[in-house]
Amino acid sequence: MLSIRNLAKTYAGGVRALRGVSLDIPPGMFGLIGPNGAGKSTLMKILATLLDPDTGTATLDGLDLIANKDATRRLLGYLPQEFGVYPKMSAVDMLNHLAVMKGITKGGERKEVVEGLLQQTNLWDVRKKALGGYSGGMKQRFGIAQALLANPKLIIVDEPTAGLDPAERNRFLNLLSSIGRNVVVILSTHIVADVRELCSRMAIISSGELILEGVPAQAIEAVKGRVWSKVVPTDSEREEIEKALPMISMHRVGGLNEVRVYSETSLGEGFLPVEADLEDVYFRQLSQHRPN
Amino acid sequence: MFKDFFLFELKLRFKSVSTYIFFLLAALIPFFSIAARDFGPIGSGKVFLNSPFAVLLITTQVVAFGSILIAAIFGPAILRDFHGDTYQLIFTKPISKFGYLVGRWAGSMVTAIFVFSGIVFGIALGTLMPWADKLRIAPNDFGMYLRIYASIGIVQIFFLGSLFFCVAALTRNIVVVYLQGVALFAFYLIELVVVVVSNKLERAWASIIDPFGLIMVQSLTRYWTVVERNVVVPHWTGVFLYNRLVWLAAGALALLAAYALFPMSAEVLGSRRSTKKAEEAKADKDSVEHEPRRVRANLPQVAQIFGGATTWKQLLSMTRMRFFNIVREIPFWAITLIMLVFVLISGHFAGNNNGVEVWPVTFLMVSVVSGQSGLFLYIIGVLYAGEVIWRERDVRFEQIHDSLPLPDWTDFVSKFLALAMVETVLASVVLVCGVLSQAISGFFRFEMGHYAKEIYLVYLPQLLMVILLALFLQTVLGNKFLAHALVVGFFISIPTLYAWGIENRLYLYGEITPYTYSDMNGYGHFVKALFWVTAYWICVGGLLGVLAIAFARRGTEQSFGARWKQAGPRMRRLIAAAAAFLLLAGTCGAVFFYNTHVANQFRTAQQNRHRTADYEKLYKKYERLPQPKVTDVDVAVDIFPERRSFAGTGHYMLVNHTDKPINEVHITDSREAVQEVKFNRESKQTLADKDHFYSIYKLDKPLEPNETMKMDFRVGYASRGFKDGNERAEFAYNGTFFDRDYFPTIGYSQNVEIDDPVRRREEQLPPLEEMAPPGDPYYSNINLFTTDSEWVTFHAVVSTSPDQIAIAPGYLKREWTENGRRYFDYSMGDTRINDFFSFLSGRFSVKTDQWKNVKLEIYYQPGHEFNLDKMMDASKTGLDYYEKNFSKYQFDQFRVLEFPRYRQFAQSFPNTVPYSEDIGFIERMKKPDDIDLLYFVTAHELAHQWWGHQLIGSQTQGSNMMSESLAEYSALTVMSKKYGEDMLRKDLRYELDRYLRGRAGETRHEPPLVLVQREPYVWYQKGALVMFALADYIGEDKVNLALRKFLEKNRYATGPFPDTRGFVAALRAETPLELQYVITDMFESIVLYENRAVSATYVETPDKKYKVTLNASSQKKKSDGSGNETPMTIHDLIDVGVFSGTKEHLKRLNLHKEWITQETGTFEFVVDEKPTFAGIDPYNKLIDRDPADNLIEVEKP
Repeated sequence: MLSIRNLAKTYAGGVRALRGVSLDIPPGMFGLIGPNGAGKSTLMKILATLLDPDTGTATLDGLDLIANKDATRRLLGYLPQEFGVYPKMSAVDMLNHLAVMKGITKGGERKEVVEGLLQQTNLWDVRKKALGGYSGGMKQRFGIAQALLANPKLIIVDEPTAGLDPAERNRFLNLLSSIGRNVVVILSTHIVADVRELCSRMAIISSGELILEGVPAQAIEAVKGRVWSKVVPTDSEREEIEKALPMISMHRVGGLNEVRVYSETSLGEGFLPVEADLEDVYFRQLSQHRPN
Repeated sequence: MFKDFFLFELKLRFKSVSTYIFFLLAALIPFFSIAARDFGPIGSGKVFLNSPFAVLLITTQVVAFGSILIAAIFGPAILRDFHGDTYQLIFTKPISKFGYLVGRWAGSMVTAIFVFSGIVFGIALGTLMPWADKLRIAPNDFGMYLRIYASIGIVQIFFLGSLFFCVAALTRNIVVVYLQGVALFAFYLIELVVVVVSNKLERAWASIIDPFGLIMVQSLTRYWTVVERNVVVPHWTGVFLYNRLVWLAAGALALLAAYALFPMSAEVLGSRRSTKKAEEAKADKDSVEHEPRRVRANLPQVAQIFGGATTWKQLLSMTRMRFFNIVREIPFWAITLIMLVFVLISGHFAGNNNGVEVWPVTFLMVSVVSGQSGLFLYIIGVLYAGEVIWRERDVRFEQIHDSLPLPDWTDFVSKFLALAMVETVLASVVLVCGVLSQAISGFFRFEMGHYAKEIYLVYLPQLLMVILLALFLQTVLGNKFLAHALVVGFFISIPTLYAWGIENRLYLYGEITPYTYSDMNGYGHFVKALFWVTAYWICVGGLLGVLAIAFARRGTEQSFGARWKQAGPRMRRLIAAAAAFLLLAGTCGAVFFYNTHVANQFRTAQQNRHRTADYEKLYKKYERLPQPKVTDVDVAVDIFPERRSFAGTGHYMLVNHTDKPINEVHITDSREAVQEVKFNRESKQTLADKDHFYSIYKLDKPLEPNETMKMDFRVGYASRGFKDGNERAEFAYNGTFFDRDYFPTIGYSQNVEIDDPVRRREEQLPPLEEMAPPGDPYYSNINLFTTDSEWVTFHAVVSTSPDQIAIAPGYLKREWTENGRRYFDYSMGDTRINDFFSFLSGRFSVKTDQWKNVKLEIYYQPGHEFNLDKMMDASKTGLDYYEKNFSKYQFDQFRVLEFPRYRQFAQSFPNTVPYSEDIGFIERMKKPDDIDLLYFVTAHELAHQWWGHQLIGSQTQGSNMMSESLAEYSALTVMSKKYGEDMLRKDLRYELDRYLRGRAGETRHEPPLVLVQREPYVWYQKGALVMFALADYIGEDKVNLALRKFLEKNRYATGPFPDTRGFVAALRAETPLELQYVITDMFESIVLYENRAVSATYVETPDKKYKVTLNASSQKKKSDGSGNETPMTIHDLIDVGVFSGTKEHLKRLNLHKEWITQETGTFEFVVDEKPTFAGIDPYNKLIDRDPADNLIEVEKP
C-alpha cells in the first residue's frame, strides 16, 4: 500500500503544482488522469525521487519514499513521460547496464531477465542495433523494458502508451497488468479508456488537487442514467445548450455536434439517455472543478 | 531579397549579446599586449608596443587563434535553420538562392569584421592606460592599424569565414565545421614543426601556404631591425602578396562551391534526415515483423543485491558505458587522428635540434610526443568533461538515470574514470608513437621505463588535474559553454599569472615544478618536488571532485539554490572523503611549503631582480675602488653529490698592483657561497650585506703597493629539501659542475648587473653602462674575463663519493681513497692560467688518446659513446692546425667532460672543457653534408685555449671578438678541413641567418664587430662571416699570419691588455691596399649588401660550350646601431659565378671575383657543362638581407 499524505509542491516560479494531495494506493493498477498541468507529472517525479515536495509524506509499506531515496530507487520502475537514449548504445547493452544499476549482479539472472524483457517488448530482433536508430514506438518499448527490470515494487509509468500503435498498446497494457497484480503500478495517462480497461482504482487530479478517487466501475455507476446526449447541427445551438445546461463534453460526429450533458432528470427536446462511461465521469469532474 | 536576408542577419547578430562578447574577446589580448607588462609578443628593447610590427603580430595571432570565433559566426548562419528544422519552413517558400546564401554570408562577414575590429579598439585603449609603459608607446596611428587589419584581419575573415560557411552549408553539421578548423590548425602546426622548429632557411613556400599567416609574418619580419619594426607596414609584394592571394582565392572558391553545390530544396536538404527516418522505419519493421517467439506470462524473479560489491560493479558498468560513449563519437576520432598525424610528424623531427641532427634518444622523443600531443589531449579532456557531465541531460535520459539506485558519488566517479581511461589509452598511444618514431629513425634503444615514468607519472596526472577542474566547473555552473569558457580562461590565466610574478605553485592550480630529465642524472633531485606537488594538486583536484559530487544535479530541480540545499546533506555523507582529500592536500602542501619556503627561501624572479638591482645601486660606487688582484689559488673542495652540496676551504694570494695603499677588501658573493674570509693580517668585517651579496673587510694595516697578502676562505653550498623551481643546475647526484662564481670575487662585479633594458627601467636603473672604448686608460689595464685577477697559479685537492671521479683544471698529481671518499690532487705547477676554474664530479667513463705529448681525455656518460672518436679527431686536428698556424699549445692535456643538460653550452676552462650532454654527445650525422656541430664545438672550445687562455683583451669594446670570433673562425676552418668547403658554406648560411635575426632582436644598439660589447650574434655569427669573407679576399694564410703575429705580440699580456685597435692594425698589415675597404666595412662598420641575380640565360656555342649571360644588381648600405640605413656607393670586389647541379649541391663551373662599380651589371661566362644556376655572391659571403635571391636559374632565352 502506497500512502500519500498532503503532498504539496510549489515551483520556484510560484506555480503551485500540488496543493496537498492525499491518496492511498493499494497493489494493482492505479490510473491517474488529469489534464495537462494538473500536477500528475509532479506527483510522479516526487514518487520517483526526482523532486522533493515542500510538505507531505509518501510511504510504501512503511518505507518513507521521500526520506529514503536510495531504498526507494531500488524498488522503483520508472518510465518518464519524455525520455531519450544514448544514441550509440544497443538495447541489450543498455538493459544489461541498467540491470547492473538495479542490483541484478548475478550474470545468469541478468541475462535471463534482459532477454525476457527484450522479447516481451518485441525488441529481440533489434536488440543489437543502436538506440539512436529506434523509432518513437521502439524507444517507448525500450522505456517500458527498462522500467520493468528487477521486479519493481513500485512502477510509475507516465503516459506510457503515447506514440504506440494500437497493437503495441494492447501488448504493453497486457504486460503491465500481468505484472501489476501484486505491486503498485501508477499509470498516468490522458487516455481514459486505458484506465477503464486496466485499473482497479483510479484518481483524477486537476490544478494540483485530487478531485476524485475510487474504483472506475463505481464512479461510472454514480453517473449512470444521468448522461444525456443530443445531436445538434449548428454551433449556435450547441452554445445555447452550453449556457443552459451542465455540459460534459462535445464530440463531432459526421460533421454534426454530439453534446453530452449531465442531468438527474430527463431533459426531453431530443436528448436521449446514453450509457455512461469513464470519460463522462472524467469530464463531469473536470467541469465541476473548473476554476472560475 | 538579398537585402532582406542581409539586414535580417545583421539585426539578429547585433541584437545578440554574443557578438559583443566576441568583440571584447578580440579586444582583450591586444589590450593587455599594450597595457600589461610582459604580456604581448614584443619582448624587451626599443620596438614600440604599438609599432606596425607589434600590430602585425598581434593582429595575425588574434585572428588566427580567434578562428573559433569566425567558425562560431559563419557556421550558425546556415546551421541555424537546420537546428530547429526551420529549413522546412524556409525552403518551401519561393526565396532566391543568391539572396539567402549571399545575404547570410554578407551579414556574417560584416559581423565578423566588427568583432575583430576589437583588435584596433583594444590596442588604442591599451595605449591610454595610465599604467602602460609610455616610453614604449608611439602615438596612435589608426591609419596603420586599419591597413594592417584590412590586409591580415579582413582577408583572414574572408578566407576562413567563407570556408566555414561553405562547409556548414554543404554538411549542415557544426561538428564538421569545427573539425575543419582543427584540421587547418594541425596543418599549420605541422608546417611549424617542419619549417620553423627544424630551422629551415628556405621559407618562401611555407610562408605562402600558411593558412593563418603566422609563419608568413614570422618569416617576413625575422630580419627586421628596430627601425623597420617601428616603421614598416608590409606591402602586398612578394611572399606577403602571394600568401594573401592564395587564401583570397581559396575563400572565393569556397564561396563559389557553397553557391554551386547548396541545394535550395527542403526535400534534398532533409534527405539526410529522411535516410535516418527510413532506417528507423526499417528497424521498426524488423522488430514488428517477428512476433514474440515465446511470450512468458511472467518475467523471471531476480535477486537484487546491493552493497559494496554491487556498487563496484555499478561503477565499472557505468564507467564502461561512459568510456564507450566517448570513443564511439566521430569528433573524438577526428581529434585523435589529427593528433596521431601531428605526433608522428613531430616524432620524425624529434632528432632535429635547431637544424642539428641528433639521435632521437628517449628524453627528446618523450618530450616531443607528450608535448605535441598535449594540446589535443587537453582538448579531448575538457571537451568530453562537458559532454560526460551533461550527457544524460543532452540525450534526455536524466529522469531514468537519476532514479537509478546508485550512491551519489558513483555517477561522478564513473565520469571521471571514463575520462581518465580515455586519456590513459590516448597517452599510451602517444607512448607507442614515440617508440615507433624512434624505430622509424633507426634508433632502437627503447627505454620503456623512462617512457612509462614520463607518460604515466608526470604527463597523465597533469591531464587528470585539468579534467577534475573541468568536471567541477561543468557541475557547479549551469551552462556547458560557460564552463568551457572558464576552462579556456584558466589556461590563459596561468602563463599570465607567471608573467605577473605569481610564481608560487601552491596557488597555481595544476602547475608542477619544472624538471629536466638527464641521461646522467635521471629525474634526479626533481623527483621529490614533482611527487609532492603532483600529489598536492591531485588531492586538491580530488577535493574539487567531492564538492562536485555534493553539487551534482540529480532530479529535476536545476536551480543553484535547490542544489545548494541538497549539497548539505550530501556533504555530510561525503565528509570522510572530503576530509581525507583535505588532509592529504594539506599534508602535501605543508611538505611542499616547508621545503620551498622554510628550508629554502622563496623568491620570485622579480624579487631576485630587486636584489640584483639593489646590489648595483648600493655598490656600483665601489667599481673603481683600488683592490688587490688574485695571483695564486689553492683550494680543497669536498663534493657531496648525493647531497647536492660541497664544502671548500682555500686561499688566494693577493697583490696590490695599484700605486696606492689598500685599506679595504671588498667581496662580491653572487652565489651566496662564501662563509668566511680571513687575511694573514688583522682585519675587521665592516659590512656584511648577505642580501646583496656584498661584504667589506677593513685591514688594520693597509696593503702597500706591490705588497702581497694571503686570504683564507671557507665556501660551500648545501642543498636543503627542494625548491619551487630554480633548482641550482650546478649540483646533481651525478654530474656536479660549478665554477669560480662559488668562490669570493674581489670587488664589485659588473657581471651581476641586469642587462635587459626594460627590466632595468622597472628597477629604476639607468641604461646599462656602455663598455669603455678601446684605449680607455682605466679599463685597458683590466682583463676582459676576470676583473679581480691576474694570471694565477692553481692547485686544488678535490674529493667526492667513491663511485665518482672529480675533476678540476690541472694535472693529476695523486689520487687516493681516505675515509671512504675519493681524493684527487690537481696542480698547474708553475704554468700560470687565467683565473677561471671549475669543479666537476660524476660517474664517468673515460676515453683516452694522445696527440704528440698532449694527453687527450673524454669523460662521458656511459651510453653516450656515439661520437667520441669524432671528438678526439676534432681535438687532434685542432691542436695540429692551431699549433701550426698560431702558437704552441700551452698545456700537456686536453679534457672534455660531459655535464647534465640542465644547461646547454660548452665552456673552455684551462685544458678542461665541460660540455653539455645536450649539444653533441648524442649528435647524429644523417646526411654527409649535415653540419657536424659536435666537431665544430669541440674545435671551438679547443681554440679558446688560444683565444681566451693565451690572448686576453682588455675590458673594452670589441675585445670579446678577439676571443669568440677568432675561436669561431678557427673552429670553422678546422671543420672545413675535414668536411670540405660545402659544409662550411652551408654553416655560414646559418650563421648569416642567425646574425640577421640577432640584430633584429637587438634591445640596445648593434655595434660594429670591433666595438662589440655584449652582443653574441655579433661576436659569434658576424665574427665568423666577416673573418671568412676576409680570408676569402686575402687568403687563409694571410689571415693566419696576421693572427699569429698579433698573438705572438700579445699573448699572456699582463696589462695593458690588447684591444681591437691592435687587432685591426694586424689585419690591415696583411691586406692589400685595394681591399682595405673590406676591413673598414666589415670590421669597423655595419654594412649590408643587396645583391640580386636579375636574370640569366645561356646559348650553346658551336664548339659545344655554353655562353652564359648574367644580369645582376648590387647595392650597398651602411646601417647605424638601430637599423637606419644610408646608401653607399659601390666599388667592391664580388663573386660572380655559374654552376651546374642542384641548389643544394652546386657544382662550380666558373666562379671569380669582379669589381662591381655600378648598381647593375651584365656578366658573361663561357663554360663547358650545361649550366643550371648563375648568380652574384652566390655563396653569401657578404652580409645580405635577402640571401636567397643571389642565385637564379639559367634559362634558355
